[in-house]
This record gives sequence, structure tokens and C-alpha cells, in this order.
Amino acid sequence: MARLAQGDREALTPLVERHYTRLYRIALGYLRQRDDALDVVQEAFVKAFQAAGRWDGSADAGPWLSRITVNLSIDRWRRNRRRGQTFSPLAEGDHLEVLADTGPSPDRGVFRREASDRLSVALQELPERQRAVVVLRHYQELSLEEIASTLGMSLGTVKSSLHRALHRMRATLAGGAS
Amino acid sequence: MIFAHLRLRRRVGLLAAGLLAGREQDDVRTHLATCARCRAEHDAEAEALRPVVAALASDPLRSAEPPVPASVLAARVAREVAGAQLSVGRKRFWLVALPAAAALVATAIALPPVVKRFRPAPVAARVTIPPAEASALLEEDALARIERNLAREQAARYLNEAGEVLVSVAATGVDCDRKDDRLDVGEAPERSRELLEKRRLVVDEGGDAVASARGVLDDVELALRQVAELPSCVKRRDVELVQKDVEARQLLMRIRLMTRELEG
Repeated sequence: MARLAQGDREALTPLVERHYTRLYRIALGYLRQRDDALDVVQEAFVKAFQAAGRWDGSADAGPWLSRITVNLSIDRWRRNRRRGQTFSPLAEGDHLEVLADTGPSPDRGVFRREASDRLSVALQELPERQRAVVVLRHYQELSLEEIASTLGMSLGTVKSSLHRALHRMRATLAGGAS
Repeated sequence: MIFAHLRLRRRVGLLAAGLLAGREQDDVRTHLATCARCRAEHDAEAEALRPVVAALASDPLRSAEPPVPASVLAARVAREVAGAQLSVGRKRFWLVALPAAAALVATAIALPPVVKRFRPAPVAARVTIPPAEASALLEEDALARIERNLAREQAARYLNEAGEVLVSVAATGVDCDRKDDRLDVGEAPERSRELLEKRRLVVDEGGDAVASARGVLDDVELALRQVAELPSCVKRRDVELVQKDVEARQLLMRIRLMTRELEG
């Protein structure tokens, strides 16, 4: 980060290598769209480069990058909503790709795909920040304290947001299943 | 005893959702051992949330791999950064060059008749500036003035937009969550973030031309940073904090006055 702050573009590669997959999973968990998630991560690194001069260097860049990614995901989500594009079931290729490693049977693949689509709908029903909390907790397995620091929220707010979000998702998933 | 029960009962749900740790968790667990009703509530809630947690845990997107390698993304980012720097440079060049060229053409057309009209009768011994040097001085002067005016206009536009964002937050009265007493501040946080991105250009590139606005620009930046951190559905007291801060600094009035000054 210190090298980035001096405008050294060579420093981008190690930073991207270190945080890329993690940030991609945050954006994908939030947006549920592969192309959008990739765009968001790319934009996050561009912003990080442009803002590196203002980074105080006192802490790990990870939470800072996560925060940028969450904010950009929220912005992208709003923009999509304004254009009438929100969640759509993931394309066939997206599922096949993530399922390829475990090699499930076709039936199991279809089942998991449907489950993932239902989950997408349940996440869509959540308010923006609640969804971010769920993604950081269940897709990144961050501690509650880390989530609070990443999103700039109090610990109590993180707990209550997550609690409400799980109940809301339960209602949506139960409604969809019936 | 009853108060302790009521206090701990509120946390039973959090324990069932796996959101307690350390001493908090121990306290509630100890209480559950002695309170059958709370224990039943805890078990029911844990049972209800289990499918949600299981669905999240088995979502294949948790282990999704990015579609392009890190090296490709790094190259794209580097290209975008270089492109952005270039386009800012180009944009700035044309912002100055186009009006400057127009001004020079206008000067070339309009100046000779005017100069001719007001030119005093030639005096043989008079020291005159050679025409080429006069034209260079004029160009330099005109360019400096145009650049200064552009910087001030840009700063005025920035302050105007920032004022609109702060007013939209301060004047909001739309509830988005009545139960929690939360207000909807719409796109104000997103707009604040966009404005903060622009700020650097306004202040750094403005230089001396916007020096008189520096105090207002700094206070506006602080206020925008506060708004940028807000979610779109925000607690009333957080909105009130922003309102108080804006009022204490008399920010809206200062923005209005400074905008007028910058616009001339």
C-alpha cells in the first residue's frame, strides 16, 4: 500500500493477488451476478489505487478494501434496481463452474442450483446493510467485531442486523418452499 | 430476579442465532439451565433458524473462483488507472485549450480595430513593444485568467452540489423503518462519496484560484464524510448529528456566500 500511495503501479499485482478472490466472493455473495461482481472488484482496486495516498497505513488493507467493495456493491445494486435489473437466477455456466470441483450428480446439481436461487431471492428481500452483514458473516466468516469495523457499525447493530436478517430470510425461504 | 430474567430473555434469540460469545454466552446459558420457558424458546428459535444457516453454508457461491486470473485483473486495473490519469489530463487540456483558442480568435478579430481607434498618434521617439511580444503576453494573460475562472466555476459547482446533498439529509422526514425510528436519506451517501472523489480535483487543481474557499471546502469535506458513512436507512439521531454539525458550522449559509463569490 505504501508503494501504491507513491503511485507505483507495479505494486498493484501483489495487492490484487492477495485480496482478489476474497473481494470477488464478497461482491458475488452480495450481487449474485458474476459479471457485476468482477466489475465491482476491478473498480474497488482502481479506487484503492486512487485513494492510496489518503490511506494512513496504520492497519491491514484488507478491511479497508472490503469496505470499498461492499460500498461499491451497494452502489451497483442500486443502479441495477433503478434500471430494473436486480437478481436473476445465475446463468447455467456460473453454477456448473462452482459445482465442478465436487462433481455432483445432475439431480444434485439441479437441487443445489434451485437452493442457490431461492437464497438469492431471500437475500434480495433484505435491506442493503443487513445483506452486507450476512455476506460478511456467512460468506467471509468474519467475526462480529471484524464486521463492525469493516462496515463502521457498532457491535450491537451488527448483532441485531444479523438476527433480523436471519429471521427475514427464514420467512422468505419458508414462503418460497410452501 | 425478574429483571435479570427479562434482560437475559432478550438475548436468548441472539444465542440461538450464534451471535453471543464469552461472558454474555455463559450468562445466558446459565440462565437457560434454570428457566424452562427460555430454554424452550431457545430451542424453538435455533430449530427455526437452522435451515437458513444451512442454506447459507451450502451455497456454492461461497467457494466460487473468480472468472479471470489475478494477473489479468491487475493488468486491467493498471490500464484503467493509466486511462483515468490520461483522460483527466486530456480533459483538463481541452477545458483550457478550447476556450483559450476561442478567446484568441475573438481577440485577433476584435482587437485590431479597437487598438487602431484608440491608438495615439505615432511619436517617433516612443519605445514600443514589438507586436510578437505583445501577442505572447496577451496569450499568457488570457490563458491564466481563463484557467482561474474555470477553477472557480468548478469549485462553485462542487459547493452547490454538496449543499444540495446536505440539505437533502438535513430536511429528510421520510420514515423507512418506523419501529426503529429510522429515516430514509436516499442517495445522499452515494452522492457524497462521488463528491468526495471530485474534491481532490477541485482543491488540488484549483490552487490559488480557490484559496479563499479553502475553509468552506474543508468543512464541507468533513460533513460529506459523515454523510458518506451513513446507510440509506439511518437512525434519526445520526441524521440529527449531521444537522447539528451543519448548523454549528453555519455551513449552508457559508456555501451560499462562497458560491456567489466564486461565480463572481
